[in-house]
Amino acid sequence: MNHGPTTLAEDVADSGEEAALAVKDLNFYYGDHHALHDITMDFPARQVTAMIGPSGCGKSTLLRIFNRMYDLYPGQRATGEVMFDGVNILENTVGLDVLRARIGMVFQKPTPFPMSIYDNIAFGVRLHERLGRAEMDERVQDVLTRVALWNEVRDRLKAPASGLSGGQQQRLCIARSIATRPEVILLDEPTSALDPISTARIEELLDELKEEFTIAIVTHNMQQAARCADRVAFFYMGGLIEVDTADRIFTNPRQKQTQDYITGRFG
Amino acid sequence: MTQERSHIVKSYEQELDQLRAMMAQMGQIVEEQVGLALDAIAKHDEEAADEAARRDPEVDELEREVEGLGIRLLALRSPMGPDLREIVSALKITGDLERMGDYAASIARRAMKVASEEGKVSLSGLRSMGRLVRENLHRTVEAVVNHDPHQAMEVWHADRGVDEHYLTLFRELITYMMEDPRTIRSCTELLFIAKNLERIGDHATNIAERVFYAVTGDNLPTLRPRGGVRKSQQGPPSE
Amino acid sequence: MSETAQQMARATKQRWHQGGRARRRQVLDRIATGTSIAAGVFLVLVLLSILWTLLSRGLAGISWATVTHSMGPPGSGGGLGNAILGSIIQTGLALAMAAPLGLFCGIYLSEYGGKHNHFASVVRFVSDVLMSAPSILIGLFIYQLVVVPWGHFSGFAGAVALAVLAVPVIVRTTEDMLRLVPTSMREAGAALGAPRWRVILSLCLRSARQGVLTGILLAVARMGGETAPLLFTSLGNQTWSLRLDKPMASLPVAIYQYAGASYDDWVQLAWAGALLITCGVLMINIIVRLSARR
Repeated sequence: MNHGPTTLAEDVADSGEEAALAVKDLNFYYGDHHALHDITMDFPARQVTAMIGPSGCGKSTLLRIFNRMYDLYPGQRATGEVMFDGVNILENTVGLDVLRARIGMVFQKPTPFPMSIYDNIAFGVRLHERLGRAEMDERVQDVLTRVALWNEVRDRLKAPASGLSGGQQQRLCIARSIATRPEVILLDEPTSALDPISTARIEELLDELKEEFTIAIVTHNMQQAARCADRVAFFYMGGLIEVDTADRIFTNPRQKQTQDYITGRFG
Repeated sequence: MTQERSHIVKSYEQELDQLRAMMAQMGQIVEEQVGLALDAIAKHDEEAADEAARRDPEVDELEREVEGLGIRLLALRSPMGPDLREIVSALKITGDLERMGDYAASIARRAMKVASEEGKVSLSGLRSMGRLVRENLHRTVEAVVNHDPHQAMEVWHADRGVDEHYLTLFRELITYMMEDPRTIRSCTELLFIAKNLERIGDHATNIAERVFYAVTGDNLPTLRPRGGVRKSQQGPPSE
Repeated sequence: MSETAQQMARATKQRWHQGGRARRRQVLDRIATGTSIAAGVFLVLVLLSILWTLLSRGLAGISWATVTHSMGPPGSGGGLGNAILGSIIQTGLALAMAAPLGLFCGIYLSEYGGKHNHFASVVRFVSDVLMSAPSILIGLFIYQLVVVPWGHFSGFAGAVALAVLAVPVIVRTTEDMLRLVPTSMREAGAALGAPRWRVILSLCLRSARQGVLTGILLAVARMGGETAPLLFTSLGNQTWSLRLDKPMASLPVAIYQYAGASYDDWVQLAWAGALLITCGVLMINIIVRLSARR
């Protein structure tokens, strides 16, 4: 993609914030398919960065690089640099379990595990920490309170999580991912399967979570990006076209392609 | 905003076109109104004065329609980027145009009062100020219709001339009144007319600023060049 | 005016009814529905008649002695106790061998045997062939493999034959059920930092447990009713015998032996045995249904 690298470099510098994730010259391949081209951008700490773009533009791919999800699938590989806490996480020396505890992920469809509400949260915690009964109870209550689910489920912690509504399940999944005390939370279209009320609850939750976590969210809903995000990155055909403040992207983007996309004059 | 591509949703594009057409129509009517009002002064044309006043409800009605459509577009289409800027600007420009229409009607009414005391004062200064305002207004409306930021910028700069005219006229009329107290009545009317013309010029610069923002996404500097009136100690209190 | 109204009414009617085509469709629909219902009724009648025959012939032969007494010579008032016990032992032992093997094999095929894994393809193909192989063939195979080297028939050989029969069923259902677990579940587990084995055991298998258990129970039902693989392996036994290295009795084989006999009490016992097996299989099926519903 030809999207003046100098402007992008300036944009990155412009953010002027401490970057939780710093992506540099990142390329990604699904086998022979070159899916991401020379991505360079920062994800400032304790801000919400939204990634928008048409289907297949590479935004989800980028998200799944940050917790090395692609390791599950042979033939997928990434080159370049993703700096997180002083380490390039693309290097093989990085312990995946630790990385994934520090960078949590929430998926498009709620994925409650086939166990109780309590165990759904304890499952992730037990992988990384040895907690006593009381400590675990405390952790579970803490994260459920933070996702505003505690009052709804306090009486049925031992009930299967599959009995919750879609919106509740998604909040449970967010609770599950923050229970391992991550620094970054990745959200892959977290509300696309939810009704507007549940969506609003999640968005409200994001607003609170960004006090403490760095959040990267992929969304097809531009209004959602406009509502939740501090910064927005527009991707097209595997390239990063533009990254800027949400305000700038939605009122006055620099690039013509971005403008065409956000105003609905695409394709 | 000249879009090379049209919106995926055709009815949205049609509504935007409708909004643009309404803006153009409104601008044209206000332009005619101001023209008629100036004719009323220059030629003591009572019919023109009546016509200028008569067109006012038309402008008011168009303002309501533009507002209605603009609000509907905002609510139903969630416009973004240039579309958003254009619609919000249209909502503001329509208010400016409506005020201009009011001033034009007011000028026309006062022109008739001055006409009855004809011949006591020279109208040449007012005529040339009127010509400048009219020209500025024409270019403003063109900038609105053509989404032309350069023309908007020109209007914005040209307003300095209007302000200077107003200041000169102000001094001139004061002189008349001091020389011959019998002219006070008609000179006061003329002073009001000059003030109204100056206000029309101000609204034209407002519109120019909106057009510039809508098209480029950037704001013109907050302090625009002025013709000394505001800074002048001798000038009348502004607004 | 009224003429146009009539025309409009006619046009409306035409739009809605489209003349004879609609009627033809209706008739065809009735015929198809009627045929399907008739086929269903026929099938239920066949099953009911089998059950009825079993009940009417078998019920008379069932008494306390049928369960408590071992088989004996005609006229001695023998029962089927040793055959029932033999069936339970052999099926249980077979299950103990087949279930872990089938489970692990199913997990391998589903979790590690992707499209491009040739070895997995071979395993899947062999398992499928084995599933559709005639059971008598399996009996012969185990006869060659176990009975001939040992020099005598044995309960153990019978259990092995039954296990061979059960493994493909368990493999197939385990693989299918695990494949139904959405990818997002695996990714969600991995995203928390869980190692792969943990994801498979704690999340995937747990999600699929209902289906996997169903597959195992169906395999049990199949083993319980098989005669052919046991004929050359455990042979059958007239006495109480718990020794796995000796020939062992089993219900299907007992039925096979007694049903063709010319003694009335043996025939009676064969019917009773058939009824017992049917009830057992029926019960397993009912358990499967009930547990699946939950």
